[in-house]
Amino acid sequence: MGSLEGILSGVQLAFSFQGLLFVFLGVVAGTLIGMMPGLGPISAIAIMIPITYNMDPAVALVLMAGVYYGAVFGGSTSSILLNAPGISGTVATTFDGYPMAQRGEAGKALAIAAISSFVGGTISVILLMLFAPVLSNIAIQFGPAEYFALMVLGLTAISSLADGSTIKALISAVTGIMAVTIGIDSQTGTTRFTFGNPNLLEGIDFLVVALGLFAIAEVCALIINRHESPERNGSIGSLKLTKKDLKDMSGPMGRQSFLGFILGILPGSGATIGSFMGYISEKKIAKNPEEFGKGSVKGVAAPETANNAATSGAFVPLLSLGIPGSGTTAVLLGALLVLDIQPGPLLVQDQPALFWGVIISMYIGNVFLLILNLPLIPYIAKILAIPRPMLISMVIMFSMIGVYAISFNTFDLYLLLIFGAIGYIMRLFKFPAAPFILAFILGGMMEESFRQAMTISNNDITVFVTQPIAMSLLLIALLSFIVPIVQNTRRKKAEQK
Amino acid sequence: MKKSLVLSLSLFTVLGLAACGTENSGSNENGSASGSSGQENWTPQQSLEIVAPSGAGGGWDTTARMAAEGFESEGIIDKGIGVVNKEGGGGAIGWSYIAEKAGNPHHMFVSSPPLLLVPLNGQSQYGFEDFTPIANMISDYGAFAVRDDAKWDNLNELFDDMKDNPEDITVIGESSPGSMDHIQFVKIAKAAGVDPQSIKYVSAQDGSTMTNLLNGNADVYSSGVTETIEQVRAEEIRVLGVTAEERLEGDVVSEFPTAKEQGIDETFVNWRGFFGPPDMTEAQISYYEEKFKALSESEHWADTREKFAWNEMYMDSGEYTQFLKEEKESMQQLLNELNISGG
Repeated sequence: MGSLEGILSGVQLAFSFQGLLFVFLGVVAGTLIGMMPGLGPISAIAIMIPITYNMDPAVALVLMAGVYYGAVFGGSTSSILLNAPGISGTVATTFDGYPMAQRGEAGKALAIAAISSFVGGTISVILLMLFAPVLSNIAIQFGPAEYFALMVLGLTAISSLADGSTIKALISAVTGIMAVTIGIDSQTGTTRFTFGNPNLLEGIDFLVVALGLFAIAEVCALIINRHESPERNGSIGSLKLTKKDLKDMSGPMGRQSFLGFILGILPGSGATIGSFMGYISEKKIAKNPEEFGKGSVKGVAAPETANNAATSGAFVPLLSLGIPGSGTTAVLLGALLVLDIQPGPLLVQDQPALFWGVIISMYIGNVFLLILNLPLIPYIAKILAIPRPMLISMVIMFSMIGVYAISFNTFDLYLLLIFGAIGYIMRLFKFPAAPFILAFILGGMMEESFRQAMTISNNDITVFVTQPIAMSLLLIALLSFIVPIVQNTRRKKAEQK
Repeated sequence: MKKSLVLSLSLFTVLGLAACGTENSGSNENGSASGSSGQENWTPQQSLEIVAPSGAGGGWDTTARMAAEGFESEGIIDKGIGVVNKEGGGGAIGWSYIAEKAGNPHHMFVSSPPLLLVPLNGQSQYGFEDFTPIANMISDYGAFAVRDDAKWDNLNELFDDMKDNPEDITVIGESSPGSMDHIQFVKIAKAAGVDPQSIKYVSAQDGSTMTNLLNGNADVYSSGVTETIEQVRAEEIRVLGVTAEERLEGDVVSEFPTAKEQGIDETFVNWRGFFGPPDMTEAQISYYEEKFKALSESEHWADTREKFAWNEMYMDSGEYTQFLKEEKESMQQLLNELNISGG
């Protein structure tokens, strides 16, 4: 069979000296870049375009893919240790990873993240290998109406991200939706809420908001409360996971490998939405959801599995259709063109060695990442032993560098500080930041796809309920909204009796 | 263009920061030096900076990086050349950065039709008149694609259908209304007699344009020629027309009919070239003209063009300025008809 030969030549490529060397270099570079708050894989891949100019295309792709998933793998480190997300796909990891580290279990949190990343990465590569051509059809099914329904479903989770008051969570979410409307409106070309400031024309970058609301706000709180709280526990705790931990992890890891992978396949969705949806869905089905947000094992395992699975998922439309599924794969697509690789529906036939070589190198890369990361955890976690004043300065500095690297624009640094202040004020008055950030991610896409769908259907709103996928998604959204309310009233009635 | 296509140059951040420091000190020296040495020959006194006013990985970024690489590997310019991304405002952030470098010709940026469209849409205070057009290097053209099973066989059938049932046909492109993908389609459709305002245009980012063409949400995809090639080869889509003057050269693209040969007398050029800050002297302009011409004529650049399916379109400073004036007028007219204006 042709494809078996293809796979064999892919194995040959992946296990060649060059293949092994460059997947290793790629994942090392990726992990390091991912660990730095704000620095992500897109920039790293863009830099490599001229470097890989004369390389064997397959090896270059192996290298760049390694940087990509390596960065997603490493991105959890600063989320957990510093509350400063390394890349946008690891924002959800801060929700439980950071509380865990504060409890003195940084080592355990990092170990959970590494293992879940490995599992998510590996299972999704298997899925990628088995189903890439079949699944690419799913990606194609998603039009504006379906995306709108998916985003609505995501937003119903806001109440579950609430930490106490649902009203406060909703206010936080609405503010997030408002913030994302800033900039040029994609459907009319009109500028909205920019106040004539050209720096706001392209909107506010997600990482600016995330680093502001999480890292800078945390730093503010640490500085202002420095006399009240005792010096933080510098110990990192044991790396060992108990049997119970492993048991807790296995459910989320299994489920999120699939969910994350599927979300990754959808163009425009990617690791960020994957990790949020992973976190939310695990919280929804958990027996004790109140543990989430306070350092739950599942709360770390779920987003970390999902974001790595989504990363492999993003390769499905890229390799099998030539359609980039995320910002990073869009840059990767550009890089491939330089290398004379034309990703498209014919890639599997035309260049089987390359196609399978990259996929197989992803297994190897994930193994490298695990062997590389686990032994390093005690050393990396030592960061927490740094005296607090220095640590705070470091977080501020790295957040600033990360934000500056997004656009090389000093204006974004002011925005970072503004969102830091907003984040701190929100904390003071107990408004949760998670709904803000979730609404910021989903709101933009929700509005855009709603309006695209309406334009296409000539303003016929039934477009959302006449197409099966969109309708089912909306139905699930409706259920996930109503069921908790019904359960609540029943419980109250029962209590009254 | 959008925020997802963000994040520039992480590894070089520190270098970038360092470079900023040296630029500032450099601009002072050269601000005064350029006035006195404006007569005869001029050569750069320091390393050069090319700004790509977008995130990493896009068309501007690629052009800038490939040009810098070409200058260095061919030994055309012996000073170091750094490419810096200044993303934001559809280019406006990068442009205002160069506008502030008046009198310091060590800084340039790469641009294309958005340099005309963004100011016309009222989204940038600087337009091409505020800079020194140095040289145009390449051109690219638009392509209008439909699904392989679509009922139209050529542009005229499509446009006739659009005249009768404009609400049934959705055109999709990456950029927002009033920007390139929209304007290139409107320009050709208008020449064929379609009312510009009746065209139903949807903008979609993040790679979902092709998806929406393939799944039937959109009927026509207005894009660059390169983006269509692979799907055409796989017989998923067909290209009804390209906006070039003549047939393009290359494997698949030579089969794409032009709008012109279908009797629609209109073209749209996605030109790409380099601009310097305001107030450059004759000597400085001719220095760069010469260098860009040498690059344009080199084997190396021919390879680059082939790799990215770009077309040769060298223009020197004078030709370029004239060309831009004419292009701007025609864009202005289209935008007026679409009722899109500065806001």
